[in-house]
Amino acid sequence: MVQDYLPILLQVIVAIGFAGVALLASVVLGRVGRRNPTKDSAYECGMIAKGEPQPRFSVKFYLVAMLFILFDIELVFMYPWAVAYRDYIATYNAWTIFGSMFGFVFILMVGFVYAIKKGALDWKR
Amino acid sequence: MSFPPALLELLVLCLGLALLLVESFTEKQDRTLLAYIGMVGLGVIFLILQLLPPGPTGMASYVFDPVAIFFKKFVVLTTIIVLIMSVDYATTIQRFVPGISSQAGLGEFFAIPILTCAGMMWMASAIDFILIFVSLELVTISFYVLVAFMRRNASSLEAGVKYLILSAFSTGFFAYGAAWIFGVTGNTNLVRIQQVLPALGAENYSAILFGALLVLVGLGFKIAAAPFQFWVPDVYQGAPTPITAFLSVGSKAVGFIVLLRVVQAFQSLPPVGDKVVAALIILAAATLIYGNLAALPQTNLKRLLAYSSIGHAGYLLMAVAGISARDSGQAVVIYLAAYLLMTLLSFLILIIVSNYADGDEIVNFNGLSQRSPLLAFGLLVAMMSLAGVPFTAGFLGKFLVFKVAYESQQFVLLALGIITVGCGFYYYLKVVRAMYWQSAASNGATIPVSGLSFATIVLLVLFTFLLGIFPQMATGLLR
Repeated sequence: MVQDYLPILLQVIVAIGFAGVALLASVVLGRVGRRNPTKDSAYECGMIAKGEPQPRFSVKFYLVAMLFILFDIELVFMYPWAVAYRDYIATYNAWTIFGSMFGFVFILMVGFVYAIKKGALDWKR
Repeated sequence: MSFPPALLELLVLCLGLALLLVESFTEKQDRTLLAYIGMVGLGVIFLILQLLPPGPTGMASYVFDPVAIFFKKFVVLTTIIVLIMSVDYATTIQRFVPGISSQAGLGEFFAIPILTCAGMMWMASAIDFILIFVSLELVTISFYVLVAFMRRNASSLEAGVKYLILSAFSTGFFAYGAAWIFGVTGNTNLVRIQQVLPALGAENYSAILFGALLVLVGLGFKIAAAPFQFWVPDVYQGAPTPITAFLSVGSKAVGFIVLLRVVQAFQSLPPVGDKVVAALIILAAATLIYGNLAALPQTNLKRLLAYSSIGHAGYLLMAVAGISARDSGQAVVIYLAAYLLMTLLSFLILIIVSNYADGDEIVNFNGLSQRSPLLAFGLLVAMMSLAGVPFTAGFLGKFLVFKVAYESQQFVLLALGIITVGCGFYYYLKVVRAMYWQSAASNGATIPVSGLSFATIVLLVLFTFLLGIFPQMATGLLR
């Protein structure tokens, strides 16, 4: 059973080995040859690098991303609910499963109304 | 009576959501009104709890027994007092929360504790790992927001980040442990687990013990037991003070009820149950020593109370470790009731004084007895009770905990407990010394106290004495 993991071990060794060899090679080869300011500048596919490496985004982007994830996850919960719905009402009380989802969506709706009233989607502000 | 008890949590949740909506639709209204609406709403919930008899709920994962009722009342009362504190603390919040209007963010600061309260009420009734997990998340996620609420204050943000990372980490432990227990027993329900455990073969013991210990680690973070306490001092000091009080009383109490229920479930399998108790004894001893020794050199009252909260977790763990004694659960309940009174009392007075003096160092309390005799007396009672002086609620709690330790033959723990009570006297009386024997450095003006806070202080002081003088009152708590 333990032998089954041998390929994984091998792969780990190869991965670490390749990374080590590549780093070592670049250091060794970097010592060969002449240096000048152009060679020492940051390598950027032919373009001259300018600006900060991580430009600043408006906080609105993060706000929208957060809201997106929130309502995206809501849909993720809705799919299994919809699939299980028909089987569930065949044996149990239909109001339980309906009420649960209704409550869930209601809470999210409160959050949505709150976000809109607070101007979370208002880009001009 | 046909009122389904599970409706209470939904009512509290709706109250919190309604406050959020009111907050977003009214712009000119005075925000403190929301806090008063919240207090009244929670007061109504408390009355309903007072009237509802314990009984079967018809749900597998939700119980409504006397312990659950006690803890529900406990968290509702805590939330009401936290809201009272928040009204006093509003000026500090306004200073550190930027916004268009001067009261920006205040409405949320009053509404979110009510959502936390709903989560805690669910935790008090939960006997299923899934319901425990979900309600625990409701509690911690709303605490993430509250701890980091003062977003122009670096220490509040630091506290928020630390709390976020460590809480998520501990939740991971809890979920992993629950998964192991589910893997062995095929159940997430604690009652069912308790029934299934004795039938298990010996080859499963190590797996079930591993799961139980992981759950213990996860809960250890929540109740601030050493060695999982390292987040406590920084988070408690950085968070807005009412939230610190909420964390140290509410969050800890619901952690303990879950701990009690989980430890109880494992007692049906002695080979594992005994090892869990052994782990609890080690945790209790470490927590007692760390909490009380680290509190000795503190000069900041808020930080001192954080360490004291760790120390009290140690005494509570002592009672849980004595689960074989008959009164173990009762000792935990009465200790927590006393803890609520004295801790909230000290935080309330801390907020009033530090608002005025602009700092929560013990030095700020110098000569308080000459400036505001009532506040000084209130804090004196709180400190006496925290230290465990007879005729205060704290003494009764400690007495019952030591009794449980004696009955379950934990003599080492008992000795440690008595020694650390001695440590406690030193650092609690340091505050009393500052108030009564030091003279005030600057102005000697009386500190203004609002009527609501005044009434709360008087009531808390009164109940601290009542519980200490008439212990039979406490046994009624669990009826």
